[in-house]
Amino acid sequence: MTVRQVDWDFSKRGQEDVARHQKKIKDSIRENIADVISEESIISRKKGQTVKIPIRGIKSYQFIYGKRKGGGEGGGGYGLGHGKKDKGDVIGRRPAPDGEGQGPGKGGKPADAAGEDYMETEVDIEELIQMMMDDLQLPDLRRKEIAETVVPSGWSFEDVEKHGLKPNLDKKRSFRNALKRTADAVSKLAEKTGKPLELCQKALNKFKGDYQKALELLNTPHPETELLDEEDKLKPFIQHNDLRYRVVKENLETHSNAVILAMMDVSGSMSTTKKYLARSFFFWMVEFLKHKYRNVEIRFIAHTSEAKLVDEDEFFHKGESGGTICASAYDLACNLIDSDYPPAKWNIYAFHFSDGEDWDPAKTMVSVKRLMDKNPNMVGYGEIRTEVAYGQQLMRNFEESFSLERYTSYRDSDFEYYLGQRAELPLAGVILKNKGHVYPALKVFFSKEKRV
Amino acid sequence: MSREKDDIKRLVKADNHIQKVVAEYGLDCFPQEFDVIPAQKMLEIMSYNLPVNYSHWSFGRDYEKQRTQYEYSGGIPYEVVLNSNPSRAFLMRTNPYPIQVLVMAHVYGHNDFMKNNIYFGRTRRDMLTSASESAGRLRKYEEDYGIDAVERLIDAAQAIQMHIEADLFQESAIEPEVDPKKRPPRVGSPFSDLFDFDGRLTSKSFDEKREEARKLRKKIPAEPDADMMGFIMKHSPREFEEWELDVLSVIRDQSIYFMPQRKTKVMNEGWASFWHMRIMSRLFQDGFLTPEEHGFYNLYNARVLASNPFGLNPYLLGVKTFLNIEKRYNAGQFGPEWERSESPDKWEIDLNVGKGMEKVFEVRRTHMDWFFLDEFMNRQVVDDSELYIFGSKQQGNVEEFTVEETNWSTIKDLVVRSFAHSGVPLIKVNDGDYGGKRELYLRHFYDGLTLEEEYARQTLRHVYSLWDRPVHLETVEVEGNSETRIQLTYDGKGFSKINLGSFLKE
Repeated sequence: MTVRQVDWDFSKRGQEDVARHQKKIKDSIRENIADVISEESIISRKKGQTVKIPIRGIKSYQFIYGKRKGGGEGGGGYGLGHGKKDKGDVIGRRPAPDGEGQGPGKGGKPADAAGEDYMETEVDIEELIQMMMDDLQLPDLRRKEIAETVVPSGWSFEDVEKHGLKPNLDKKRSFRNALKRTADAVSKLAEKTGKPLELCQKALNKFKGDYQKALELLNTPHPETELLDEEDKLKPFIQHNDLRYRVVKENLETHSNAVILAMMDVSGSMSTTKKYLARSFFFWMVEFLKHKYRNVEIRFIAHTSEAKLVDEDEFFHKGESGGTICASAYDLACNLIDSDYPPAKWNIYAFHFSDGEDWDPAKTMVSVKRLMDKNPNMVGYGEIRTEVAYGQQLMRNFEESFSLERYTSYRDSDFEYYLGQRAELPLAGVILKNKGHVYPALKVFFSKEKRV
Repeated sequence: MSREKDDIKRLVKADNHIQKVVAEYGLDCFPQEFDVIPAQKMLEIMSYNLPVNYSHWSFGRDYEKQRTQYEYSGGIPYEVVLNSNPSRAFLMRTNPYPIQVLVMAHVYGHNDFMKNNIYFGRTRRDMLTSASESAGRLRKYEEDYGIDAVERLIDAAQAIQMHIEADLFQESAIEPEVDPKKRPPRVGSPFSDLFDFDGRLTSKSFDEKREEARKLRKKIPAEPDADMMGFIMKHSPREFEEWELDVLSVIRDQSIYFMPQRKTKVMNEGWASFWHMRIMSRLFQDGFLTPEEHGFYNLYNARVLASNPFGLNPYLLGVKTFLNIEKRYNAGQFGPEWERSESPDKWEIDLNVGKGMEKVFEVRRTHMDWFFLDEFMNRQVVDDSELYIFGSKQQGNVEEFTVEETNWSTIKDLVVRSFAHSGVPLIKVNDGDYGGKRELYLRHFYDGLTLEEEYARQTLRHVYSLWDRPVHLETVEVEGNSETRIQLTYDGKGFSKINLGSFLKE
């Protein structure tokens, strides 16, 4: 026969190679994690724990023809297509591939045509965090490092015992024991006497559960005559050793709380791009701390020359005019700690972003010291310099006042950071010049080994 | 189960009928076998190119891509037919009956083509068994030498697998270079000195060899060699282990096996479509297909021949070209005089010479895409297949794709150029002893189309991993209207680029 049905045994090869490819993608994400984590799609994801991130597909490289260069204003790339069209007709559009934070085009086709081999891969945020943790050597969930508070959270029954106080009697369980024991007794009677089960039940019922008496009666020549009026329903007869009592315990919950005091200069000079870097940083900070603490709160303090508590949206998206006095934010943070977040119960992480301009740096340093005295877990200052920096730089004041040491990581496109020289001073400074600096900044802040 | 049996019975009936029609039309086929297989297996064959093949992540990637495409496509009539004798084709179990019949009809077209086209004349018809055996060997290598080592080698081999040149008309070129099992022990292998009583066998040191080569002034290769892969396997300063040579041979052999298919993609698909359309109408006329089934077929046929706005559809271009040949040769629109004529009336001539069928059969025997399109793509074919050239422009945040060219001869020029050398840039080994240091010098024979630089760089890295010494690539860069020759070098650490002056056509 020339047509036949073939039931292939399913080789695992396909699935295996899919897994090999997947692993390569993961490796590539790991390699490019600094770029991946600052993808806008992650930070702005609405819900859910997975994100789609555009990653360059794992390509098979060969010598291939390239796109045409030149050829008209901003022209690039050509291909052949079919359709009834005239010169100049638009056949498709997609978001420009080089636009900032842009993903690949929708509808795939033009992307293929233009040779852009982007793939969207779904990644679990959890998985990304895991990758970062490996890399960051995050202080993992080591209990003793975490300030926990123990709070009674009510009462609960933890165990069952045979002795106890009457109010704690577990009626249901006791009843069940009795029922089970009675049923056992009936079948044992039937086994010993050879009488039908109903008759044994009647006998047991007559003597209110007394096994010995029931056995004696059943062994008489005509027990049924004695048992005419008895019901043959299974009745439980509760005995002392059927009783169960519940044990009550007081519950103690270990609370591990963390609060992030996010402070940011929102004066006019802080552009959307600058704020985006801060936003990206805070996003991952919250994700990390969620791993450490059960309860993570984040409070947003926006400041110009005055500081106020705002919501997230306002914090990242609204700008204000006015001067810049950073001290105001640190003062408000101190007040918040006093009123809402006693350090005995809360792990406090404070981070401040600005572009370095401050009308009264001396005053700010006083306020920072005040904050440091509150015994926070960490305080960080991030100076965002997406443009060539000129004028005043608050980082200098930090450097001098707290004798911070300056480091440069050339691997991370000249990322600069500052660390306190004494171990007990949990203060760090970072300078963010581009998206790629978000990840090393997290490293400074979170890795146990502070040097990047 | 019994439904499946009924389905098979129906397909057998259809197959018998198609065979009759095929014979009447004069197609000349190998015996044809159809395997009805689950969708998953079908997608696997499509991504692995063969029913059983060696493992590699790239196949996994393609398999996943195929699966996604399949899930979103809503059932394209996939067809896989392998060049073998008997011809082996696969039908996806989940496809509805009219699609199965369409695929069967189409497959007979491919069968005839692969049996009769001269570029297939010397291909191995036993690749299925051979690939299955090599898959086993490669798996063994993974166990012995580690997945990573095997993967790196496959990565590199695949990067240059298109750069082979086998004379498709000569038996020896198609046969595997060296049978790894029969290969004599390598001179200079760890054991060779055991037998080396008088030193004759000891390989000369590299310096000695070089000195010798210099004295002989023998250039390697004597002429630029397009068989880059073969050259590297033979002459690489890196001493390949036997298993490594085996891996390279497996990939090279498969590439050679698929070479005729790469050279005739448009023709092969065009020919198969040309015939499936005819066969399907015949089946309908014979009452073998219900009007409803025929309607269903029409729908799917339209999808096969659909106009892709962003890419060339080889089925469409191929069938339009064959139809045009048939029409012209039936009407007598051919010959030097007709070709030379500028008159638009020349398309209206009808001498009713009826040479159409004869001509298409001849062309399917003698041509490959490059020459086929060069010879037979004309104004009408471009119009019939509604081809255009599009470009892209950045407009603010949006990239816009617009039709840039509809002139038929410009389009033909681009199409023909992109089918030259099966769409693979022609790159030859110019020198295997560049600078007297056994560095590898590759030269791109520029024909108006530049290389994608990032791909060229990454491929050079792979070449380096095979050659183990600096590798150079001479190519051309275009900036505005100026074409500049450049030499791109990878030395294992980084890239460098030197300007060789402006490009002058030779």
